[in-house]
Amino acid sequence: MSATTTSPLNTVEATSDTTRRAGLFAPLRWEVRKLRAQYRAKAVLLGAVVLPIIIVVVIHGQSRPPKDTLFGRFATVNGFALALLVLGFAAQWVIPLLTAVVAGDIFASEDQHGTWKTVLTRSTSRGSLFWAKTLTTAGFAVLVLVVLATATIASSVLIVGHQPLIGLSGQTIPATEALRLVALSWAVMLPPMLGFTCLAILLSVWSRNPAVGIAAPVVIGMVMQLVGAVGGVEAIRPFLLTTPFEAWHGLFADPRFTGPLSQGLLTSAAWCALSLGAAFAMLRRRDITGG
Amino acid sequence: MRRTILVILAALVAVIALGSAVIATGGDSSTVTRPRLERSLTTTFTNLYVTTAHLRGRDITAASLNAQAMCDKAGAENKDIGPGGDWNCLMSWTDPEVPMPPEGYGKFELNVHSNDCYTAGGPSKLTGFLTMTDTQGRVVTNPLFEFDGCFDADSDNTPTGVVYPSLLAVASTVVTPDSNGNASLQVTCGSGDQGCSGTIAVAAGDTNLGTMPIDLAEESTTTVPLPGKVPTSASEITFTVHARTGFGPLSPVTLPVQAP
Repeated sequence: MSATTTSPLNTVEATSDTTRRAGLFAPLRWEVRKLRAQYRAKAVLLGAVVLPIIIVVVIHGQSRPPKDTLFGRFATVNGFALALLVLGFAAQWVIPLLTAVVAGDIFASEDQHGTWKTVLTRSTSRGSLFWAKTLTTAGFAVLVLVVLATATIASSVLIVGHQPLIGLSGQTIPATEALRLVALSWAVMLPPMLGFTCLAILLSVWSRNPAVGIAAPVVIGMVMQLVGAVGGVEAIRPFLLTTPFEAWHGLFADPRFTGPLSQGLLTSAAWCALSLGAAFAMLRRRDITGG
Repeated sequence: MRRTILVILAALVAVIALGSAVIATGGDSSTVTRPRLERSLTTTFTNLYVTTAHLRGRDITAASLNAQAMCDKAGAENKDIGPGGDWNCLMSWTDPEVPMPPEGYGKFELNVHSNDCYTAGGPSKLTGFLTMTDTQGRVVTNPLFEFDGCFDADSDNTPTGVVYPSLLAVASTVVTPDSNGNASLQVTCGSGDQGCSGTIAVAAGDTNLGTMPIDLAEESTTTVPLPGKVPTSASEITFTVHARTGFGPLSPVTLPVQAP
């Protein structure tokens, strides 16, 4: 009864839906194809596999553990501690760099090659092109994080071992629970990493220069880290995009605390929304007539 | 180009404005506080102590250990809040095989970071050295020698009420009188509650040289002149400390006299 009355409406909705999806899908497929052809993206993925293994082998071979970093004390004798040591190091600048390599370049390279006019004369709007590029970079960020995390955790557990881990309240964490928490810790790197992805997109759109798009997020990340470590200005710590990189500490305390995780999710989402909003506004209003 | 400079300038202004606003609201907003540190340190220490005891083949429970701590940041005049490498924590616990020193606690030095994590190092007399031998004869890292911990920024911030007296000690190793027989003594007051005060009675053999009052803030050193002239014949001077606040040496301290 109601199905017959609403069926024309449904058809209209369905058609508009398919056109919209096609409008996003075509440029998305094209962007993914361009990314897959990029030598740089392949090199980043290869590095995300090989470098953690090298680091794990080198640290495992050390006679003195790197005690200055959290979990460094037992890194040479405990695989989980080593995976967390690498995590702490990666969060300093490796993760922002890995995502910026693609996100900082994807818009600016069109400027560099003078191809904006070409891509926009294909029947795609600036809006769908923007979201296609954004989704491609976000997908790449997820992929590279998964690859990096898997390579690190697998190599540390296989090379160093899976002994019970001493947590951040001195408690002993059984191996299976430790493995789960280590994987979770790597997973919660994703929100701030995507925050840096959005920041790199903004810088890429704004500067029209791939070098700025790739290097500036890393530099900004390091400055935020420095500001966050200074005593006396701790009130701004919750607003920094690097603070969520440390939110995993709470998972290894007893009792466990997740306040920093939800706070970090909010911070990352806010940075991402503001960056993407600004980038989209800039791209929409830009006068693309020249080369 | 001008647009770029304008954007960079605007960003700088925003950063400076935010920074000064934060500084204006004061540095007391830190999540690193004395009660949180005291609670976290005792929990972490207790868990690690039990683990270490198991490695040594001993069975200790967390409840029997009853660890308690008093933390203090950089001397008397500083507020006990904020990150830094100048946190000291005095901690006592009960282990029949490792009795506490006379003052009743061991001093831990903490480096606390703004991310609510810290590294603590204890007195090796009580907690052991970097490595230890486990029950199977293997040399392993001693978990208690230095350890890391993190606490929840939203955890309980009510004072724990644990206080320990400062340790009052004679720092000089010799007494060096000048040509007139005047000499002085260096005393230190360690971290703890309320600083150190009291009197020190000075004697050269059987000759009483009088008493001198002392009043020190915690974590400070002072040089006090001896109340009487050191006799030329004296080879040793004995100092008997009566601490009113703080914990003084239980037996008199005897120092040799060094000729000027």
